[in-house]
Amino acid sequence: MPADQTFFDPAHPRRGRFDARVVFNRMLCREHFLLRLVIDDTGPSFPQTSPGQFIQLGCRTPDGAADIDALLGAEIEWPPGNPGGQAALRQPELCQRLALLRRPFSLAGRGEDDDGVWIEVVHRVVGAGTDWLSRLKPGEAVDLIGPLGNAFTLPEDKHVALLVGGGVGLPPMFYLAEELWRQGWTAVAFVGAMTRDLLAVDLNENVEPDVTGLPKLSARQFARFMFPSVVTTDDGSAGLKGRITAGLEGVLENLPGASAAQAVIFTCGPEPMMHAVAKLAAHHGIDCQVCLEQAMACGMGTCQSCIVKIDPKMFHPERNEPAQGADAVGRPWRFKLACTDGPVFDSKMVVW
Amino acid sequence: MTPSSPTPAATPPAAAVDLSIDLAGLKLANPMMTASGTCGYGYEYADFTDLSRLGAFVTKSITAEARKGNEAYRIVETRGGMLNAIGLANVGLDAFLADKLPQLRKLRATGPRVIVNVAGHSTDDYVKTCARVAAEPDVDAIELNVSCPNVKDGLTFGTDPRLLRELCREVRTAMAKNVRLIVKLSPNVGDIVLTARAAVEGGADVLSMINTYTAMTIDIHKRRPRLANGTGGLSGPAIRPLAVYLLHRVYRHVAREAKVPIIGMGGIQYWQDAAEFLLAGASGLAVGTALFVDPATPVKITEGLAAYLQKQGCKSLREIVGTLALHGEPPVTPYP
Repeated sequence: MPADQTFFDPAHPRRGRFDARVVFNRMLCREHFLLRLVIDDTGPSFPQTSPGQFIQLGCRTPDGAADIDALLGAEIEWPPGNPGGQAALRQPELCQRLALLRRPFSLAGRGEDDDGVWIEVVHRVVGAGTDWLSRLKPGEAVDLIGPLGNAFTLPEDKHVALLVGGGVGLPPMFYLAEELWRQGWTAVAFVGAMTRDLLAVDLNENVEPDVTGLPKLSARQFARFMFPSVVTTDDGSAGLKGRITAGLEGVLENLPGASAAQAVIFTCGPEPMMHAVAKLAAHHGIDCQVCLEQAMACGMGTCQSCIVKIDPKMFHPERNEPAQGADAVGRPWRFKLACTDGPVFDSKMVVW
Repeated sequence: MTPSSPTPAATPPAAAVDLSIDLAGLKLANPMMTASGTCGYGYEYADFTDLSRLGAFVTKSITAEARKGNEAYRIVETRGGMLNAIGLANVGLDAFLADKLPQLRKLRATGPRVIVNVAGHSTDDYVKTCARVAAEPDVDAIELNVSCPNVKDGLTFGTDPRLLRELCREVRTAMAKNVRLIVKLSPNVGDIVLTARAAVEGGADVLSMINTYTAMTIDIHKRRPRLANGTGGLSGPAIRPLAVYLLHRVYRHVAREAKVPIIGMGGIQYWQDAAEFLLAGASGLAVGTALFVDPATPVKITEGLAAYLQKQGCKSLREIVGTLALHGEPPVTPYP
């Protein structure tokens, strides 16, 4: 944050709260939905975004759309003869929404058409908030805060990307694939899930995932850029049986030396998976960027909830920040926030 | 379900209503503040709302030394509420004065008063920190956090009336006279009137209430508390009726007679919530958890309150403070 930051410029927001409407809310696989939102174009324009960034999505009808004042009993014209109903409906407690806090979602895509700027996220039904999201219909209103966090960086001297997305870690890889394609990179995606019905990608009907772990154009989200995928499932119900790292290792072992020197691993998914990917990257001497996740309330750097342990000597070394602790092997760490210091970090900085 | 239906919030704020408040001589343009710990140190929300429209900005708790805070998980949402155990993570007094306060000075120049929240672990610790903060120009008030439920011994000062009275006395004596002393009361006590009275006797100029309720939630599969700290502080709409009740009790039994203004907080999300606190006896209002959902909440509440007060026939917000009439009592004027 620059020290001379000026306060609030509503005409040119870098980030902000935006109203949006549902374009579609399509089931990708069991429990997972691809949600496309078009940003309300009556307000300020939606800021630039990059893969790795996220939004905080309200998981309840937005205040403006719900007419919260009416719900809270301020100005309701009641039909005569229903005083009992009036008394009951005027109780604000009965009108509270299920999910209080917003839920963070990585951007899975962004574009623009005649209706304005659209963004996509993938959500998995795990609780009250995402259950509400799963019932959204085209045209319905939502509101969001964003764009938040930092983004993946594409080093100029590299041009081979290995995208490793496990479960709900896949969405930022969709967005990143498009950006890589735009910048002329080549890429292989590694797509993992527990079972076939939890694979949050569209599988091509005529290109089945390869059971030996050879990259094939099987996942449409990557195949549209001619990026092949290696699909793994824990139970072997689709593609190679095993962990996502098994597929990654197979490709890394056979990566030509020239390619390895130009390769970067980008990963997002469950922490044990990212940790395993980071170890593989270190073993093969390949740069690796991880998109970390942690429970958060605000996403704006105030609640201090989404802490991750980062080596302070590697994270802005010029700041000379002292360590706050050390892991079992004496590696120093300092709490950083996934929302504003991340969510993307160089895997070498992360103290797992 | 249309956004266009007539509501008080939709009407432009009436210029006729005076929203300013007076906290023991400290004038605020409007009653809205940020609740400590939910708004960082000043600039974090600058992209999301016009902070200059706040009545006052209240910082995160500052301690003499920097604190790293608790391990993850630090928060968990419960039905209608949020449980947190951050553990007073903060940059420490020196870094606050060097890096954060200059930002707040810029904000103060745009309107809002600056209130610095201070936490400590001993009387001496509190006194030293408060004295240094109060000596800084552009600090209008200090809010004493004597009731953080998430640090070891954090609750002691806030729950023992005798200790609290002594602490307030020592801090008040050590602070520059022109800086107001606000004492933030804990709800985790048997009778909050006793601690409120102790704070006032010790020299508190203003009371703020309430801090979070100590609470717990359990992961039933792992059979462990869901927060790393075990327990946390409950905030959000879930605690609002509890906060309104305690505030009204303190207003009636301590603050009204002692003429000590109260800053009300605890689950305020909409102007209707804020109006409840005013009627119960609050002069100032702070928004906490709701800031995480929408940093513009205080600004929206200010607009809603202005329209509400006009409908209630009030020329100023101060007229309505504490005008709740319990059943059996004659209505307090002005009353529609």
